Amino acid sequence: MSADVKQLSISERLGFVSYRNQGRSDAKAHIEVDTSICNSVCPHKCTTYMCPAKCYTLDEQGQVHFQVEDCIECGTCMYACDQGAVTWRYPDPETGLGVTWNLG
Amino acid sequence: MEDKFDCIIVGGGIAGLSAAMVLARANMRFLLIERGEFCGSKNVSGGVLWGTDLARLVPEYWEDEDAGFERFINHRRLTFMDEQSSFSVDFKSAHYEEQPYSGVTVLRAKFDNWFSEKVQEAIDASDVADESFLVPNVLVEEILKEDGKVVGIRAGEETFYADCVILAEGINNLLTRQIGLQPAYIPADYVAVGAKEVIRFDRKVLEDRFQLSERSGMSNEFVGYASGGVEGGGFLYTNLDSVSIGIILGMKDLRGKKRTPYDVLNEFKAHPAVTDMLRGGEVLEYAAHAVSMGDLRGLPSEIYADGVMLVGEAANLLLNSGKAIQGMDYAMRSGILAAGTTIEAKAEGDFSAAMLKTYRTLLEESFVLQDMRTFQGAVQVLHSPQMFGTVPNLICDFGRQFFTVDSEPTKKASQMMKDSVKRHSSLWEMIKLGTKAARSL
Repeated sequence: MSADVKQLSISERLGFVSYRNQGRSDAKAHIEVDTSICNSVCPHKCTTYMCPAKCYTLDEQGQVHFQVEDCIECGTCMYACDQGAVTWRYPDPETGLGVTWNLG
Repeated sequence: MEDKFDCIIVGGGIAGLSAAMVLARANMRFLLIERGEFCGSKNVSGGVLWGTDLARLVPEYWEDEDAGFERFINHRRLTFMDEQSSFSVDFKSAHYEEQPYSGVTVLRAKFDNWFSEKVQEAIDASDVADESFLVPNVLVEEILKEDGKVVGIRAGEETFYADCVILAEGINNLLTRQIGLQPAYIPADYVAVGAKEVIRFDRKVLEDRFQLSERSGMSNEFVGYASGGVEGGGFLYTNLDSVSIGIILGMKDLRGKKRTPYDVLNEFKAHPAVTDMLRGGEVLEYAAHAVSMGDLRGLPSEIYADGVMLVGEAANLLLNSGKAIQGMDYAMRSGILAAGTTIEAKAEGDFSAAMLKTYRTLLEESFVLQDMRTFQGAVQVLHSPQMFGTVPNLICDFGRQFFTVDSEPTKKASQMMKDSVKRHSSLWEMIKLGTKAARSL
């Protein structure tokens, strides 16, 4: 791998993203995940590796956790999850989170 | 009803704005609602806008000093990749320098924003300048129906009514699902995820490296190693002073192979042929989005109903036939045709499903559904496992033999090909695939 082409980690990558209402502590989550489904019946826990913004993570015990703050509204988890754990909405422009692309 | 619009358009991407442009020119009263801060602020594409419809909507747009596009494409390349090698089919032609251009690269936050300004200008020049609106920053939550017919929308506490609604909400078409034209849960089968970076270069460096003139550009699609063993491929497009580089991965296959989009993107960027193109660049933005795979089996059950029409990716309109990845041109044409149908329906005073079926007929007669049907076989061949593994590996293996000069006796090309086929597949497999591919294209 050449040093001239920088390989970025996902957190570095997300550092380039402009988020809306980022400072608001009362911002409304636009995605709800019933992780009790992920952590009981799901055979693949696929959102933990398919989400392009790493909003879904696995802890040391193999339990799935979800945080919405880094979400870039791509929609992947809504299709990837075939267990009915993901409820997906669009963020409210005033009270929700989500992205404003600078380039897109 | 006093404040009833002729049409409400949900979504200010290319499909919605194209519809709006046609309506504005026909002096129709409409409301376009966009949930982002400005048009384009929620959109992600590869992206090349193919075709010539843009010149019909914004005549001589290339003369516009601040035109929203990046570069016109006069150089195309399709690259097969294995881990070390790349074998390209490369076509460049001065023919593509003639206007109207047949493909331009775009960055959506810039392009759609520019396009929305052009639509606003058309509204201002219309007879009903004070009665049509482009409204950003508002989320449509509900489609309102009366007696089974779509009559308007609800956004927060507010309701708006119109003779018809055009849904241009994109692939994540929650409202389309709400009114039952697609099921509430759509499985991963016909949906992919795209992930990309925009990498900045000094403009002179970019033009020298990719042999570009002032406004010309290159499109490069990649098959094989680019998608990390997952169904899909890679792309690289030149913008004014940046490149868009990314991958598109079938979600179902990605799930099965337990791969991560940004890891696959890193591997693609680290391929020696790609590294040579990206050296010294500076990442400006990382983005990702779900994208339709253009499989007809993924289309909504219908693209119109009483008082409503679906356009662009809300209708899953997209085609990757192996020649180009077309989505934005489909969005544009479907928006144009839905608006044309709206104008006709207004003249007839009839917005029933029977009337709006005209939109479906027009779309069937246009390149959009004609090509999606003609190349459906190609879509399926492209998504067969050989196409992102065996075939590119075999082609690169042959290329390595063919182009290697190593002071040893050299075999004839036909023998090299036989050896490559034997190493990676079998003659019978390749005949079967070749026949299928030849028929489908």
